[in-house]
Amino acid sequence: MNVNVNQTSLQGATRGIVRGGETLKEHRDRLMTATKATGHYAGLKKLELRESEPILYNKLFSRLRAGVVDARETAKKIAASPIVEQEGELCFTLYNAAGDSLLTSTGIIIHVGTMGAAIKYMIENEWEANPGVQDKDIFCNNDCLIGNVHPCDIHTIVPIFWEGELIGWVGGVTHVIDTGAVGPGSMATGQVQRFGDGYQITCRKVGANDELFRDWLHESQRMVRTTRYWMLDERTRIAGCHMIRKLVEEVVAEEGIEAYWKFAYEAVEHGRLGLQARIKAMTIPGTYRQVGFVDVPYAHEDVRVPSDFAKLDTIMHAPCEMTIRKDGSWRLDFEGSSRWGWHTYNAHQVSFTSGIWVMMTQTLIPSEMINDGAAYGTEFRLPKGTWMNPDDRRVAFSYSWHFLVSAWTALWRGLSRSYFGRGYLEEVNAGNANTSNWLQGGGFNQYDEIHAVNSFECAANGTGATAVQDGLSHAAAIWNPEGDMGDMEIWELAEPLIYLGRQIKASSGGSGKYRGGCGFESLRMVWNAKDWTMFFMGNGHISSDWGLMGGYPAASGYRFAAHQTGLKELIASGADIPLGGDTDPENPTWDAMLPKAQIKRDKQAITTEEMFSDYDLYLNYMRGGPGFGDPLDREPQAVADDINGGYVLERLAGDVYGVVVKKGAGGLVVVDEAATKAARADIRKARIAKSVPTREWMKGEREKILAKDAGTQVQQMFAASFKLGPKFEREFRAFWDLPESWVLNEEDIGIPTYGSRYSMDISELPDVRTVQFVEE
Amino acid sequence: MNVPVGNLRSVQVLGIDAGGTMTDTFFVDQDGDFVVGKAQSTPQNEALGLIASSEDGLANWGMSLHDALAQLQTGVYSGTAMLNRVVQRKGLKCGLIVNRGMEDFHRMGRAVQSHLGYAYEDRIHLNTHRYDPPLVPRQLTRGVIERTDMMGSEVIPLREASAREAARELIAEDVEGIVISLMHSYKNPVNERRVRDIVIEEVEKSGKKIPVFASADYYPVRKETHRTNTTILEGYAAEPSRQTLSKISNAFKERGTKFDFRVMATHGGTISWKAKELARTIVSGPIGGVIGAKYLGEVLGYKNIACSDIGGTSFDVALITQGEMTIKNDPDMARLVLSLPLVAMDSVGAGAGSFIRLDPYTRAIKLGPDSAGYRVGVCWKESGIETVTISDCHMVLGYLNPDNFLGGAVKLDRQRSVDAIKVQIADKLGLSVEDAAAGIIELLDSDLRDYLRSMISGKGYSPQSFVCFSYGGAGPVHTYGYTEGLGFEDVIVPAWAAGFSAFGCAAADFEYRYDKSLDINMPPDAPEADKVKAAETLQAAWEELTRNVLEEFKLNGYSADQVTLQPGYRMQYRGQLNDLEIESPIATAGTAADWDQLTDAFNATYGRVYAASARSPELGYSVTGAIMRGMVPIPKPRIPKEPEEGETPPDEAKIGTRKFYRKKKWVDAQLYKMESLRPGNRVMGPAIIESDATTFVVPDGFETWLDGHRLFHLKEV
Repeated sequence: MNVNVNQTSLQGATRGIVRGGETLKEHRDRLMTATKATGHYAGLKKLELRESEPILYNKLFSRLRAGVVDARETAKKIAASPIVEQEGELCFTLYNAAGDSLLTSTGIIIHVGTMGAAIKYMIENEWEANPGVQDKDIFCNNDCLIGNVHPCDIHTIVPIFWEGELIGWVGGVTHVIDTGAVGPGSMATGQVQRFGDGYQITCRKVGANDELFRDWLHESQRMVRTTRYWMLDERTRIAGCHMIRKLVEEVVAEEGIEAYWKFAYEAVEHGRLGLQARIKAMTIPGTYRQVGFVDVPYAHEDVRVPSDFAKLDTIMHAPCEMTIRKDGSWRLDFEGSSRWGWHTYNAHQVSFTSGIWVMMTQTLIPSEMINDGAAYGTEFRLPKGTWMNPDDRRVAFSYSWHFLVSAWTALWRGLSRSYFGRGYLEEVNAGNANTSNWLQGGGFNQYDEIHAVNSFECAANGTGATAVQDGLSHAAAIWNPEGDMGDMEIWELAEPLIYLGRQIKASSGGSGKYRGGCGFESLRMVWNAKDWTMFFMGNGHISSDWGLMGGYPAASGYRFAAHQTGLKELIASGADIPLGGDTDPENPTWDAMLPKAQIKRDKQAITTEEMFSDYDLYLNYMRGGPGFGDPLDREPQAVADDINGGYVLERLAGDVYGVVVKKGAGGLVVVDEAATKAARADIRKARIAKSVPTREWMKGEREKILAKDAGTQVQQMFAASFKLGPKFEREFRAFWDLPESWVLNEEDIGIPTYGSRYSMDISELPDVRTVQFVEE
Repeated sequence: MNVPVGNLRSVQVLGIDAGGTMTDTFFVDQDGDFVVGKAQSTPQNEALGLIASSEDGLANWGMSLHDALAQLQTGVYSGTAMLNRVVQRKGLKCGLIVNRGMEDFHRMGRAVQSHLGYAYEDRIHLNTHRYDPPLVPRQLTRGVIERTDMMGSEVIPLREASAREAARELIAEDVEGIVISLMHSYKNPVNERRVRDIVIEEVEKSGKKIPVFASADYYPVRKETHRTNTTILEGYAAEPSRQTLSKISNAFKERGTKFDFRVMATHGGTISWKAKELARTIVSGPIGGVIGAKYLGEVLGYKNIACSDIGGTSFDVALITQGEMTIKNDPDMARLVLSLPLVAMDSVGAGAGSFIRLDPYTRAIKLGPDSAGYRVGVCWKESGIETVTISDCHMVLGYLNPDNFLGGAVKLDRQRSVDAIKVQIADKLGLSVEDAAAGIIELLDSDLRDYLRSMISGKGYSPQSFVCFSYGGAGPVHTYGYTEGLGFEDVIVPAWAAGFSAFGCAAADFEYRYDKSLDINMPPDAPEADKVKAAETLQAAWEELTRNVLEEFKLNGYSADQVTLQPGYRMQYRGQLNDLEIESPIATAGTAADWDQLTDAFNATYGRVYAASARSPELGYSVTGAIMRGMVPIPKPRIPKEPEEGETPPDEAKIGTRKFYRKKKWVDAQLYKMESLRPGNRVMGPAIIESDATTFVVPDGFETWLDGHRLFHLKEV
């Protein structure tokens, strides 16, 4: 069958805008019913066009995709924001009439799903009747409660009509530098609720006849700090959408509407089949379990939040069970995840599921055929009330990536074990780095304008090691594999902060037989700023990645900032000043150079707005990736090369790798073969001496659990997970053999539990129909 | 082409294309007649291969090397030696001096260098990314204590002792060149030049001879990764090339030439091998064709030209608009980001040798990106190729003559192509072998057509106002396919399509181009006085660049009055990050009215390139760069002009028929020998016009006629 135009059955009924006369809602309902009934997208058991005219089908695909990619490349040059223009934080996607994507450009492709969710929200909530959907309309959305990742990702959505009937949609998204949250920057930390999370727009019609409404322009441009970026970003998105709309019109004119219409649905089913084929080829059926954690250290005095109930340390928990079946279908279940919280790291179910595709395209399906087919090919279960599927409309999302990148690193490990089993050693990847630190802040810049900054240097973290080689250093981010740290001279144009150093961060990559890629660090000095603030955003107490098969996790983060540095005088006097990197943070050299400074050097890697003046210092440290395999198995020469190259601290070579080095020619170290052999033998012996049988170790751990001998944040995390994940609790109890009498309730821990019992979702608001994408 | 009268011939121009395996020479006489010579390249001493190639070419005219070289007016060299030196990391041992604390930035490659030059699938496939080794290793990099900010103000004064120490250490390492690149030196070069002078002093003290390169003296443009890479190329790769070029020039002088060789440069002009900025000669090959097209356009009156070139591995497109080539300012080459002005050429990784596969997971048809290159395809048994290529489709469909590939040097076997396409493609798609092959050609043509269309519309034009030039070995095979339906004003295939790049080299201007970054910011409501100041700032930069340009010409014996100057600038709306290069409508700037002319020219271009709605004059304007180009007239090949004869091709041009498949049916295509067709002849499709080095396909529904300049015009009928 095919997604035929439903003309005959609709005769006499009110005519909808979709091609053939259905309303948008009728059209989507028909497709979803057919999908459910057959297991094939839109009930397409046979791909008519693709099978009968493969050349035409391929031509349509390659022409449309080339056009979408080209629109992104052209449109991004309109933007002023370095994160759009230089980092490529934008994406354009083409949808069919039901809001399912057929193809996308490169860039932040997490939004393939989030913009689709916005279109589906408009469909389900009868936008067609009010405010109406007409040719040449422009819609804008960034509402996190209907699927957006965080408020700074702004969607522009334009319907595509042919001969007066709707045949699809095109969406464009850019990551703007500021959305008018409580604090400056796109991913501010100070707010704990939606109401301070930044300007949010719900699928609003902001233009007609290809022109933006004046009330929209006036309102939106004063809701953000960086108006120029905002304006030019919007022009970028609209220009791209219009280029793609024109392309579709040309393609339809040349190839016929019938062919295009068939293609628009077959491509989705084709994407689903492609994923299935790939899973079959690359993985081994079975159940894979893994987990991710990351810290939310909010009790610290440098985290200034408006509400006392938010003032506590918590931990994000994301256990994941991945089930791969023999037919190539699969299911991802996040039972046992912890609850959403009073911070900005919560995620909507759509950003969680859609974001996973960003990761999968880097490893499992690196193909041009990226569309909603993959989403239809995957079953998700995200329990309601967890941080990845919140059940309250007050939640904040502005840096949902803090949890997302930490949760997804587990998926690399699951898939990699499978690749390893199949012998695809080159495809193994120990996991993604925590993509931080985020240098953000604002005030008056060097041009004396209100400004916000949001460095994207962390688009170049270290990557995970593979089973045959080291990870790549300072190279990529999970949300964008095409890493770019940007030229320093460009960041200095955008930020009133000059560089005093940019250096590879030694030992930031996880140790292993194959080392994780190292991150890097930039030392910035405030310069020509007025009324300036900055803050830190990243992991500090917890390494969010893990390492694989004996490899170590990457180093976690920390912060270094210095106020009242006296640098002006030190520079003038010719004294030593901090330059380059904070090479060994446990043996710092800068602090002594700044005797009068107020220095903040600790594991508090999340802070809120803090005032900075000229000559103050801020260290922006980008994390490394995790390692693979036992470090004792690493080639000793590789360790010496790493020391000489600045990738590993010499003092860790002995402790971790068991490699003993001595000074050689030209100040470089060389391996002491004999001493290395002996040191490695000693470490192995010490390991055996220290080890106990697992069952015995478990006994000791069980005692601790029974005594609740754990930090309040650990207790809170498990208590929240038990409450939302009864199956997880049952398994935990069974595993540790805990008596019925042992109960762990949040209320008993002695910390604020505000929000743990009462919640209210947007679905409870009048006239709102939410769209369900996952099993809850 | 024609049989000349020996003693009257005067050889004017020599074009050289020195590739990795073959060295081509292209001699042009006073009537525009030419001969092509070929010889194996001799990397140890390139001059040997060049002489051999010249002798081979001149033998066609019965001329001795000595006689020809004595008459020669000028010669242009283009080669891949420098590029290969960079790709293979076989350059000189250089030291690098940067700001202290930033010694790692060069080797970090801004992260982008880990995926530059990758095809789409690999760009997103993380585990495939890798860095090439840095041009200068970290151990030969030193830092000096200094910082200048983006406005050019000094934040940390230069501590000279740190510069001296850096110089001494690098000299002690026996480096063969020292490169200096400090932050924002394009804006304020004082400290960088001071470091340069200190290094020169230290080099002199050491008694060694080490060349020193300061980025501000070479490529004073923003983006330190680009600027530093490019300046390093001067020391790393250009210096050895300079020696090579000097040797070649001398070898030819010994044999009678009286001029200095010029070298093809990235900006599309030629420069002397003595030029200071020699790194910009790193480019070669495809640019030649663009210059050839531009030159033909100038002579024949075409202002807008789409240049298309299909070789074995790629489809290259460049646009000439209003008689000007498009220049890209921060291109990448050899997986390095650079700050060279480069003729914008876009390439699709799809050529005649591209492999065709079905994706094992999605069964989508994939063209390239890898290719069989010179090994053609399965049809050439000796090639060892097992995966079908575009050329195999040509074989199946009767496009190519199996017995006349490269003049019969390579014998091809059609049946091998048929069998391979059947198994690898046709059966899996449920198509006949002919339909599969025709479908693939249709798919490729459609890709190329879309590409051409999007490039032209991306510049704000429609194909109706463009003439399309098609050349390269495989270009004319596909000309009909990738131009069909686009509505070009005219479609032209030069009869010398295969030698067109070498022709272009010979036609290139003697042109220097200098660029400089500027930061002139002007609010929309700027008072007159500020506009005057802005105009004066730009004028000062133009004057500085003019001095550089004139100095280069002086090195070659040209005085200022012989040089034609053309100023240009780069402008954007204030706050944007991408600028547009605009040829200045005025020769000098100094008044508020001048400034307004500059912004008007920018607004007009911006609206065309993006969309009228994307114009943002309410933000004000920034001038980000000044450009000065200087040219001197040089002899160029003459375009042939022969009288037109009748429409009917002579009988001797007809060399038989061949079965030809298109649009689901077999027809008999008339075959012609290209060299035997006469000006004025008209050929109706289906026809195939063959020469040794190229095949021009004219299917049914098309016709072509040959004009007096030996250009074929292709038309849909």
